[in-house]
Amino acid sequence: MTAARPVAVITGAASGIGAACADHFRRSAWQTAGIDLHLSDTDLPLTADVANRAAATAAVSEVAARFGRIDLLVSAAGYYEEGIDVAEISVQQWDRMLAVILGGTVNAAAAVLPHMVSRGQGTIVAISSELALAGSATDLHYVAAKGAVLGFAKSLAVELAQTSIRVNVVAPGPTDTPLLAPGSPWRTPGYLATLPLGRLVRPQEIAAAVYFLATEGELYCGEVLSPNAGAVI
Amino acid sequence: MALVTGAARGLGHAIALRLAQDGFRVAVNDICDDGRLTALAGRTGGIAVPADISEGTAAARIVRQTSGMLGPVRVLVANAAVMSMGPFLEQEPGKWWRPIDVNLSGHFRLIQAVLPGMRGLGEGRIVIIASGWGVVGHRNATAYAASKAGLIALTKGMGRELGPQGIVTNAVAPSYIDTEQLQVDADDLGISLNDVRQRYRELIPTHQLATPGQIAATVAFLAGPGSAGVIGQVLQPGGGVTRTRA
Repeated sequence: MTAARPVAVITGAASGIGAACADHFRRSAWQTAGIDLHLSDTDLPLTADVANRAAATAAVSEVAARFGRIDLLVSAAGYYEEGIDVAEISVQQWDRMLAVILGGTVNAAAAVLPHMVSRGQGTIVAISSELALAGSATDLHYVAAKGAVLGFAKSLAVELAQTSIRVNVVAPGPTDTPLLAPGSPWRTPGYLATLPLGRLVRPQEIAAAVYFLATEGELYCGEVLSPNAGAVI
Repeated sequence: MALVTGAARGLGHAIALRLAQDGFRVAVNDICDDGRLTALAGRTGGIAVPADISEGTAAARIVRQTSGMLGPVRVLVANAAVMSMGPFLEQEPGKWWRPIDVNLSGHFRLIQAVLPGMRGLGEGRIVIIASGWGVVGHRNATAYAASKAGLIALTKGMGRELGPQGIVTNAVAPSYIDTEQLQVDADDLGISLNDVRQRYRELIPTHQLATPGQIAATVAFLAGPGSAGVIGQVLQPGGGVTRTRA
C-alpha cells in the first residue's frame, strides 16, 4: 500500500528544528515519521538512536512498511555541548558527537536510499550549522561533526546527480531552540545586536528552507542553504 | 509590490509571472517595450516601466512611475543583464564596460532609488540575479563575470548594512538556463544553439539545463515570508556545476 500524500522521515523530530520541520510538513499535507531518542509529534513517532546503524535501518523499514514510500529525509538529530574548550574535549565526547551528527546522517541516508532509488526520486536534507561554515571558538567537536556532514552531503549529491534524488544541506545560524540554553551567550542582547537580522532565526524559518528544497529544489545538488540571520555571509 | 528588471523575456519574464502567482503586483522593466512588456504587465497586475537602467535618470524615473501607480517597491528583483563574450585582450574598452554599466552600476542606482520606499515601509526584499560565472569565472566572459561577482559582493555588503533596517538582500547565482541568451555562448564557441545546450548539459552533474520557471522558484522563496532568516547569501540552483569545475 503506498500512501497518497508524500512522506517525510525526520530524525531529531522530538524537539527544536526537527520538530519545527515535522510541524511544517504536516501543515503542508505531508505525512511525517519521526526518529528520535524521544517520541515526536509526528504521524509515526519512532524511538531509536540514529548513531546505531541497525536501529536506524529498522526504524526506516518501519516507515516504509507503514507508508510504502519515503519522499524526504531530514537529518536533524544532534545535540550541542556548549562552551567546551578544545583542550577539554574528551575522546568519548568527540566520538559520540561524530557518531550522532555524522553517523546519524550517514545511517539514515543509507537506510532511506534504497527506498528512494526504487521509487526513482527523493530528497535528503542534512542539517549542518553556520559554525561549520565559519568555525567557532569553542565546541570544536560539534563544529567538526557538522562540517563532516557538509562534505558527506556534497559528495553523496554528486554520486546521485544523474538520478532524481537530490542531497543538500541547510546550515542554520543561531536558532531559537532548546539547544541554546536560557543563559547561552548566543541569547545576550550584545550578541543579537551583531546579527544583521537583529534576532535569532526561528525554527519555522529553518523548516521553510527545508520545505523549499524538498518541493522546489530540484536544481540544487550538494548546495548549502544557510538561514543564519547574517551571522555568516 | 514587486519590480523586476529585464522582464521582457527569459528568466525575468518567468520571475514576474511567478511573483504575480504568489500574490504580488509586479511592475516590469526592460530596455524597451515592443509590446511584450505591456502585455506582461497586464498579466502581473502591474505596469510596464521600460528604461535603460544604465542611463543616469532612469532609476529615479522608474521608481517615481511605479510608486505613483502601485505604491512603494517592497521587492526588487535585479535581473536585467547584458551578456557579451570575447577574448579579454581583444575587447574594445567601451564594449567591455557595458555589462558592468548595466548589470552592476545600473542596479546600484536602482537599489538606491528603491531604498527610501523600503525604509518607509519598514521592510523590503532585494533579490539579485547573479551568475555561477560570477562565482567561478569563465573564459571569454571577463566583463560579465566581473559584473556578476560585483553583484555578489554588493549582495553581501547590503545584507550586512541593510539587515538591521528590515531589508533582506540575497543573490541567486544560476548556471546554465535554457533561454535565448544561450545564443551568445553558441556564437562565442562557434557552434549551434543545440550543440551548446548539449555541451552544457554534459558539464552539469545533474545533466539538466535549468528552466526559467525553476530559477523563478528560488526568487519566489527569497521574496516570501519563510526566508527572513536568509541574509547576504548566494543561492546556487545550478545542478552542482560550480563545484565540479566545469
